[in-house]
Amino acid sequence: MSGMDAGRPPGATAPWDTGPPDVDLGRVWTGVAAQVWRRDPGRVERLAGRLLRSAGLARALVATPSLLLAWIIATVVVLFTGAVATVATGTPYVALLAPAVAAAGIAYAYGPGIDPAWELSQSLAVSDRMVLLVRALAVFGLNAALGLAASAMSGAAAALTFGWLVPMTTACALALAVATVTRSAIVGVAAGVAGWVITVLSGAAASGQLTTAVTSAALILPYLAFAACCGAVVLYATRIPRGTS
Amino acid sequence: MNVDITDLTRRFGRTQAVAGVSLQAGAGVFGLLGPNGAGKTSLLRMMATVLPPTSGRLRLLGRDPGSYGPRREIRRRLGYLPQNLGYYPGFTAAEFVEYFALLKEMPPGQVPRAVAAAIEHVGLGDKARAKLRTLSGGMLRRAGIAQAIVNQPELLLLDEPTAGLDPEQRVAFRALLRDLGQRATVIVSTHLVEDVGAACTEVALMDAGKIVFHGTPDELIARGEGTGAAGDAPLERGYSAVLAAARSAAAVA
Amino acid sequence: MDDDGLVARVAAGDDTALRELFSRHAPWLAARLRAALPAAEVEDVLQETFLAVWRGAGGYRPGGAAGGWLWGIARRQAALLLRRRGPAAAVLPDEATAGARQAADPAEVVPARADLAAAVAALGPPGGPEREVWRLLYVEDRPVAEVAALLGVPPGTVKSRAHRARRRLRAALRGGAAAEGGSR
Repeated sequence: MSGMDAGRPPGATAPWDTGPPDVDLGRVWTGVAAQVWRRDPGRVERLAGRLLRSAGLARALVATPSLLLAWIIATVVVLFTGAVATVATGTPYVALLAPAVAAAGIAYAYGPGIDPAWELSQSLAVSDRMVLLVRALAVFGLNAALGLAASAMSGAAAALTFGWLVPMTTACALALAVATVTRSAIVGVAAGVAGWVITVLSGAAASGQLTTAVTSAALILPYLAFAACCGAVVLYATRIPRGTS
Repeated sequence: MNVDITDLTRRFGRTQAVAGVSLQAGAGVFGLLGPNGAGKTSLLRMMATVLPPTSGRLRLLGRDPGSYGPRREIRRRLGYLPQNLGYYPGFTAAEFVEYFALLKEMPPGQVPRAVAAAIEHVGLGDKARAKLRTLSGGMLRRAGIAQAIVNQPELLLLDEPTAGLDPEQRVAFRALLRDLGQRATVIVSTHLVEDVGAACTEVALMDAGKIVFHGTPDELIARGEGTGAAGDAPLERGYSAVLAAARSAAAVA
Repeated sequence: MDDDGLVARVAAGDDTALRELFSRHAPWLAARLRAALPAAEVEDVLQETFLAVWRGAGGYRPGGAAGGWLWGIARRQAALLLRRRGPAAAVLPDEATAGARQAADPAEVVPARADLAAAVAALGPPGGPEREVWRLLYVEDRPVAEVAALLGVPPGTVKSRAHRARRRLRAALRGGAAAEGGSR
């Protein structure tokens, strides 16, 4: 059994090799330890496991060893501050902020920049691409839900309330594409946020209205086309695992 | 045969990391030796289905890892310890091993017991609920070994597994290898020659992407006798002799 | 660290303390259980015992009697197991009658078992009042109220019969030890 304990001479018997010869105390301890050491999946994880039909995927989603929790908190703060500001000033901050915040979260959903065990995760039965997809969808969905709630709270018009969902998709796709190609979450965040800021500012410059980027119907197709391209980049970048030596 | 490789190559740009390797391995402990840059890690990565080969034939556990379904089946029965395994500092050792057990699609009911057994097997029993950030380098390596063995893999690939272990732990680790090699194919890549000698039933020596020696440790020792090659111990001398011969042959050709 | 300290640590959620408790006490608990149960059931009982320790360490009152407390839990788990699996053919003595717990030596187990059988016989014929109370109260580990209801006697009667049974067992076991010429 525990033959690799430091301080115990190699080959020495484990402390519970005494006792009746036909009682396997090592096995008994393993049974005890199994219950003591296990992590009890909470309700969310169990539900996710049933929905995704994979306990591993549910664990990867819920136990994400990343900054996702910090991102969730930041998102809630940002969006609801935006809602309050909107009510106060009339500028639809929620619509303008949501895509940027989502892009940041999405970039952190992916691996190498912040997943230290990424090489190992490429050898697992639950593929890292599946994990990425599930995390990205969860981030996106969460952000959409929070954003919609904040929008409704701030009493924005329907066009604005939903108008940012498409640009948000694009910003997320861009952030994820850059993150997977450069293998850095931070660069992905920067690209997504910067891209969005540029879009808003150029929209404002072109039409004089700050909210053009989220309200202009003419932009919807370009947004979706760009998002599709970024999606293709993500698929390509995650299909070919790139070892370096 | 758990591993069946024919003329495998892997190219990165203009470099040929693996330049035509053929190998068959069944149950037992198989040592992969060679200097840095010899292509051991790339070969191991291909066997871990992390890297696709550029050309050649690769069959693992009787399946072709080129397609999704068989690759997933291989991965369920695979254990892999990369050379640089990152750790999630906020996880405990048990959570770490359990995470990978679930991602290897072990039946969830079997996971707690398997995790407990793996942790005890590598001697981390009193660190199971300690956060990884509090563990020493050697203990982290052992946690890495634990996640590799948790699913009782049929193919176990270890890249420099003894890095950070003290001599006493290395001895215990070799015993663990022999134990695992009874049922599974264990492939250990290491530059520590003597580590290999005590535990391996077969040894292959790689240099510049090719296998320049394949045989038992005793045969490797025999290659070093009487040649005056460098080395403090018999296996090292054999290692040096074979490398020297391979390089001079390559220089001539 | 002494046993009291370990149990306190277990109550605080320290699994390494549980592991240490296991390595100290599981061997002798296993030996004692083995005297009355087959090996596979000893393993199950021990596992349930230490899980019960993990969950219930908060209920331990320190005072140096950790061994007895553990044995009490083990006995209860064994009784639960026997109740689930069928009538109790085995008899497990409680701490007071069997003396100190140092019987970890397997060589002592066999004479202990023989003595036990003889001592139980000293309680009287099966079906007799003390024997029945012994069976229901100590082997099947039922509470006094339940035993009283089952036997159709007041709880006070149950307690006095139990007291008589314990006295007879003690005398029988001590007599056995004296006859052996050894001390337990």
